[in-house]
Amino acid sequence: MKVVTGVVGNDIHVVANRLIDLSLQARGYEVFNLGVNTYLEEFFDAVIETGADILLISSLNGEAEGWGREVPRLKAKYKKLDDIIMMIGGNLVVGTGNAEDIIPRYKGYGFDIVCHQVDLNTGLDSLEEMLKERNLK
Amino acid sequence: MSQIESPDDNIAKDKQEKLLIDVGSTYFKLSNKTNIEQHFRDFNKSILDDLTHKCGQEIERFDKKDIHICSSANGGLSTLIIGVTHSFSLKYATNIAFNSGINIIDTILFQNIEEYSVPSDLIDVVIIVGGINSSSDNFSESLYRYLNNLTYSNVVFVGSELDVPTIKANIENVVVLPNIIDDRLHIVEDSLKAYLTNLYQQDIEGKEDIKDLYNITDNQIFSTPYVVNKTLPFIHTKYPVVNPFVLLDIGGATTDIHYSKDLVDENIVTNNEYDRLVFKKLGVYKSKQSLIFAAKNNEFVYELLMHLKVTENIFEEQSNKATKVLMQLAIFLVLCKISHYKKAYVNLKLLSVNSFVLTGGITKVLTVEEIENIVSFFYKKILNSEHNPVTVLDNNYDIWTLGAEGKERCQ
Repeated sequence: MKVVTGVVGNDIHVVANRLIDLSLQARGYEVFNLGVNTYLEEFFDAVIETGADILLISSLNGEAEGWGREVPRLKAKYKKLDDIIMMIGGNLVVGTGNAEDIIPRYKGYGFDIVCHQVDLNTGLDSLEEMLKERNLK
Repeated sequence: MSQIESPDDNIAKDKQEKLLIDVGSTYFKLSNKTNIEQHFRDFNKSILDDLTHKCGQEIERFDKKDIHICSSANGGLSTLIIGVTHSFSLKYATNIAFNSGINIIDTILFQNIEEYSVPSDLIDVVIIVGGINSSSDNFSESLYRYLNNLTYSNVVFVGSELDVPTIKANIENVVVLPNIIDDRLHIVEDSLKAYLTNLYQQDIEGKEDIKDLYNITDNQIFSTPYVVNKTLPFIHTKYPVVNPFVLLDIGGATTDIHYSKDLVDENIVTNNEYDRLVFKKLGVYKSKQSLIFAAKNNEFVYELLMHLKVTENIFEEQSNKATKVLMQLAIFLVLCKISHYKKAYVNLKLLSVNSFVLTGGITKVLTVEEIENIVSFFYKKILNSEHNPVTVLDNNYDIWTLGAEGKERCQ
């Protein structure tokens, strides 16, 4: 199963990005890692070029807040993205915030799985569960 | 029959002196070991007639094997690229096309192909690209319908291997080359670049005006931007240029920009140190009207005109002053187009630029001070910065000479 991943916006947390890449590979995914400082359009374009099933965006410095709002508008421009699973994880707000507020907000942006300050393996477990629910694995 | 040689002939031949000729859309230039001359073209004559009329004596001094010609006057190949995304397939194919010397490029995002009008003019080459090799069904019927309505001379597919059988079954005479996107989403340039460069060479050789020039040379005629691009790694041998730099070649019909790769944050990973970008309707002679149109649509141009102490009436004038202003405007517009102020094919990190190198006809019209005046206006107004890169004028066409000599040495 193909996953496109990377760190969104002006965010250079390369270690976290590398760990996500390695963890996904260890779980048997084919990973297309766009690295740090990635624009939203590049994520969607990479999904199109690779035929990926999953888009996993990470954010450590809270920039996801701003980019997330752009997701519905940008995704609507694409004609082949209806079936992808969209996941976002990391530190999803600037400053502090609680998951009860943050998760619904990001789900409203179109993400299927939202992991705010959640351990990486726990987050990837929830991805596996969703794949099972959708009979994709 | 033996030919009587003049003493001058002997000098040229003994020292293996070369005559380098560059044919542009507005001027042609000749360079020998000691001198460079430039002539405005007479558009009522063929290039060869014009050249022999103005420089016949000089050309006769040389053997055909010692004359090397490059040209950017053939108009270039018209290229249409159909790709599945802006960030990868279209961007990569456009990058390869520019670096192969091609000037005229239009792009189509495949998912919206039905919304694009079909160009009525003949397209020299259509490039179809999309998907890594493990992805499939990147294209559908709408592509074939579009191509059926399009007139083109060549079509090349450089997308996913899995799509090749369908593409071959539906597009007659399609040339299939290796995918330009690898499995890590990186660019693979070589095959498409070689294909386009050859096509471009054939096009140059096929144009009647250029074909005539083989009467005076035994050597292959190259495209000028290709020659200039080859020079850039050696530019420091002629000028105090510090990397990263931007080279602007503002010509009569188009403006060519060559830039250090350090100036872009790109997903394009190549072996080239320098990339090339072309603005096809930005020139100070053949494209003058579109330059003025672009200027009038730029919100800062009136401030710039005030800064230069002229009014917009200058656009209607035919004077040295008007030419100067037009060239200063061209510099400003080009900088706007490659900055973050305007979203273009590339946005360069202009605050990191150490040197601006200007070549082409502009170097005969503007002084370093006049150029620096515009550059600093741009930095203050658009980038809100006091950054002040060094301006270098290639006013003796050393960049072209260096490239042409290097090209000749490589043969």
